[in-house]
Amino acid sequence: MKVTVLQENLARGLSIVSRAVSPRSTLPVLANVLIATDEGRLRLSATNLEMGITCWIGAKIEEEGSTTVPARTFADLVSTLPDAQVSLTLDPRTQTLNVRSGSSTNDIKGIDAQEFPPLPVPDFDQAIQINVADFKEMVHQVAFAASTDEARPVLMGVLVKVDGETITMAAADGFRLSVRTATLSSPAARPVSAIIPARALSELARIASDGDHPIQMVLPKGRGQVVFRVKDAELVSQLIDGTFPDYEQIIPRSYKSRTLVSTASLLKACKQAEIFAREGSNAVRMNIRGSGDLQPGEVEISAHSEETGSNETIVDATVDGVPLLIAFNVKFLREVLEVIKTPHVALETTAPNAPGVIKPVGEDNFLHVIMPMHLSQ
Amino acid sequence: MPIRLLAPEVASQIAAGEVVERPASVVKELVENALDASAKNIQVIVQDAGRRLIEVADDGSGIPAEELPLAVERHATSKLASAADLFRVATLGFRGEALASIGSVSRLTLTSRVKEAPTGARIRVEGGRPGAVEVVGAPVGTVVRVEDLFYNVPARLKFLKQDVTERRAIDNLLARYALAYPHVRFRLTDGKTVSLQTTGDGDRRAILAALYGVEVAKEMLEVLAEEDDLVLNGYISPAALTRSNRREMTLFINGRWVADTALTQAILQAYHTLLMVGRYPLTALFLQIEPEEVDVNVHPAKAEVRFRNQDRVFSFVQRSVRRALLAYSPVPTLPQPQNLWRSVHSVPSVENNPLPGGALPAAGLDWTIGHDSRVEPEAHIGPVLATTPETVASSPFPARASLVSLPLLRLIGQIGATYLIAEGPDGLYLIDQHAAHERILFEKLMAQHAQQRIPAQSLLTPVVVTLPPAGAAVIADQLPVLSRFGFEVEPFGPNSFQIRAMPVLFGNADPAAALRALVEDFEEDETPLQTEIEARVAARVCKRLAVKAGQVLTPEEQRALLTDLENCESPRTCPHGRPTMIHLSVELLERQFGRKGAR
Repeated sequence: MKVTVLQENLARGLSIVSRAVSPRSTLPVLANVLIATDEGRLRLSATNLEMGITCWIGAKIEEEGSTTVPARTFADLVSTLPDAQVSLTLDPRTQTLNVRSGSSTNDIKGIDAQEFPPLPVPDFDQAIQINVADFKEMVHQVAFAASTDEARPVLMGVLVKVDGETITMAAADGFRLSVRTATLSSPAARPVSAIIPARALSELARIASDGDHPIQMVLPKGRGQVVFRVKDAELVSQLIDGTFPDYEQIIPRSYKSRTLVSTASLLKACKQAEIFAREGSNAVRMNIRGSGDLQPGEVEISAHSEETGSNETIVDATVDGVPLLIAFNVKFLREVLEVIKTPHVALETTAPNAPGVIKPVGEDNFLHVIMPMHLSQ
Repeated sequence: MPIRLLAPEVASQIAAGEVVERPASVVKELVENALDASAKNIQVIVQDAGRRLIEVADDGSGIPAEELPLAVERHATSKLASAADLFRVATLGFRGEALASIGSVSRLTLTSRVKEAPTGARIRVEGGRPGAVEVVGAPVGTVVRVEDLFYNVPARLKFLKQDVTERRAIDNLLARYALAYPHVRFRLTDGKTVSLQTTGDGDRRAILAALYGVEVAKEMLEVLAEEDDLVLNGYISPAALTRSNRREMTLFINGRWVADTALTQAILQAYHTLLMVGRYPLTALFLQIEPEEVDVNVHPAKAEVRFRNQDRVFSFVQRSVRRALLAYSPVPTLPQPQNLWRSVHSVPSVENNPLPGGALPAAGLDWTIGHDSRVEPEAHIGPVLATTPETVASSPFPARASLVSLPLLRLIGQIGATYLIAEGPDGLYLIDQHAAHERILFEKLMAQHAQQRIPAQSLLTPVVVTLPPAGAAVIADQLPVLSRFGFEVEPFGPNSFQIRAMPVLFGNADPAAALRALVEDFEEDETPLQTEIEARVAARVCKRLAVKAGQVLTPEEQRALLTDLENCESPRTCPHGRPTMIHLSVELLERQFGRKGAR
């Protein structure tokens, strides 16, 4: 193999694929990145067997070939090379990759490309097309609610459902649920329902660059995998086996009071309360007081810690319904408020022991359910 | 091969295997017999680690000549008359198997005289076959000679360990019995040299010295506690004195040496957070309990027992040991230990005396050992050092300061930006500033936690857990109080429960795992969730709050650290069990500088 690439392209490609490298593995080749010539371009791939990322960069190819080199070593080296052309030459006999740029010459010991696990090459004809901006926002609004506890793998994933023109993502960690829908530019050929690891979706949101190119998604039949293609890259992930909780059942159908507040004010109040709540159990009380004839409604957010002290913030609100005192984990409140873009949010509540629902005002494509806390019985 | 009845010799050899497995078990059986005969003097002669000769001579009540042939028969005993007596066994032996068993695997000679008889009598048993009774001259009491042990059981002989090991087993055994019976004079020889001799004057600490050496014996702490019909006394090692195994944890129940794992656990729990992982204390504890309350007929060698009310005994032992431990003060010499400690009555059990303020009598257990302030005012704390008798006597509620094991310290300075040096009345203290600060913060935060209820977080969807029947029974019993710990649990079919809410402190963990952790806490009689809370607090203290090694402290900061440490309940270890300080006593310094003769 003998190719010449631009340092800038190589560094960017490596930064994309290196997120799938498995640095500590009993399979040494998984710590490596695959470098291969591929129809006039250079293909870079890495995988940890759960997720694989491939990226293509432009290259001048003098001689075809492929190898794998340690990802960390190669990426660190490339990032220090001068911004110029980099030539890569493989000695197939010793699997040593010579990296030359300007006055710098390096030899990196590699492992034969034959040992690298093959990544699927699916057919993107029937692919579902998703707008990049929509996709990024969906992931942003949903993935944080997924669980990080490996005891319940299903909850570490995001349920992705496509039905006709509608795509829905839902994630839950046992205490909260985030659901976001969007409309596809063209309807899908057949309905899809899969649990995709939240980490894979977040990675994809990171590498997908805004532009005209939509994200293409395919689920090759019977392989338990999903493959996404963005402009110059592909991401493949194992699907999570199992049954996602029936989230439709969890979403309350009615409420007794609906509180409208400014998103920014409520977020600020939550951040203040968290300073006090975080030392204890993260609990904040929300005292929702109704609007009277002459006085406006308000929400009092308060936190109390044996150790630090206490905090109280009053946020103006429009309250429609009964007054209520309810407690929530402030981390959950803050995290959902941080992903809502509308200037106002609505909090729908029923009772101190019933779930609370948070929705952006003016958009009906997102909702978030938080289970309350009980401070004293 | 046809089935046939075993010859009586073979059958008795098989049975003997359960009771007599090594020379030490022969010594044990014979010494127990002597103690049951209310001997005041027990002489043991052991040659060749017991292979050649074991002789136990006592001055007890003796056996009348006409009963001698019966004494060596199987299931013959004077200690038990009916099956009902089994439930209130007050003697060490009762199975009537020891002599017959030993006789079947050795050449046994039994010589005995009762006070009323003018002469003694002797009977020989060889390989299980008793000979005729002959009249001999003998002092009052009984002498049992066991020669050529296992001569007819070569397999058993082959499995004996080295002489040294078997000897040590016998030495240990006798030393422990000597400890348990300080008013009986014990003497162990091999015919030439005396390896153990006690005076029989009731001074246990001298026996401790024979067992562990003088240095260790000096450091051992005395435990004295009483509660209704339970009495616990004996010695435990301070937290700094440990072994890497449990072998030195000795427990006697009603004068019988037992290996009860549950009570060993109770003792270990009393040392909770004070010991490093994998270290065990030295203990020699003696528990007195009504014979009806304990079943000793569980194991042929009587090494295991069962209690009628396991929880109560467990909690009593744990509390008593913990209290003695917290009252620890490193006085370098204890010339007359008995006078330094006051005999005490311990905390009345929670069920019998409901505490004011609505304390929960939930499982009949005092859950709140270390960090509890509620129990203490009720207790006549002890043993309390009598060096401050005025303060103790003037107040029915001893101030917490009297429990504190640190003397007043005078700060000298900081070295290496890591350790503080201080002087106490009894020498020099080196204090690890990080470990000390960890302990201070840990106790402060735990005290705050104790006042808080554990908040519950509702689950999005209820989780159904199926527990093993034992665990399910525990949860079913505790359902009404589970909400106190932040759980909302409902029965959901046999052995199954539906969790609707779980404590926040488990974070994002699996609710099923959280409930199982709670079951374990209940099963092990620990304060529910205490481990989780302690672990959280300790981690926080360690990572974020405590001063680090290498941090220069101003003299004011150093002094404040010392004062705070003095107020801690267990100032000698950090929450992870590492020591916070090293003490160099004046005596040690004098020895090191050659001012006093090195021992």
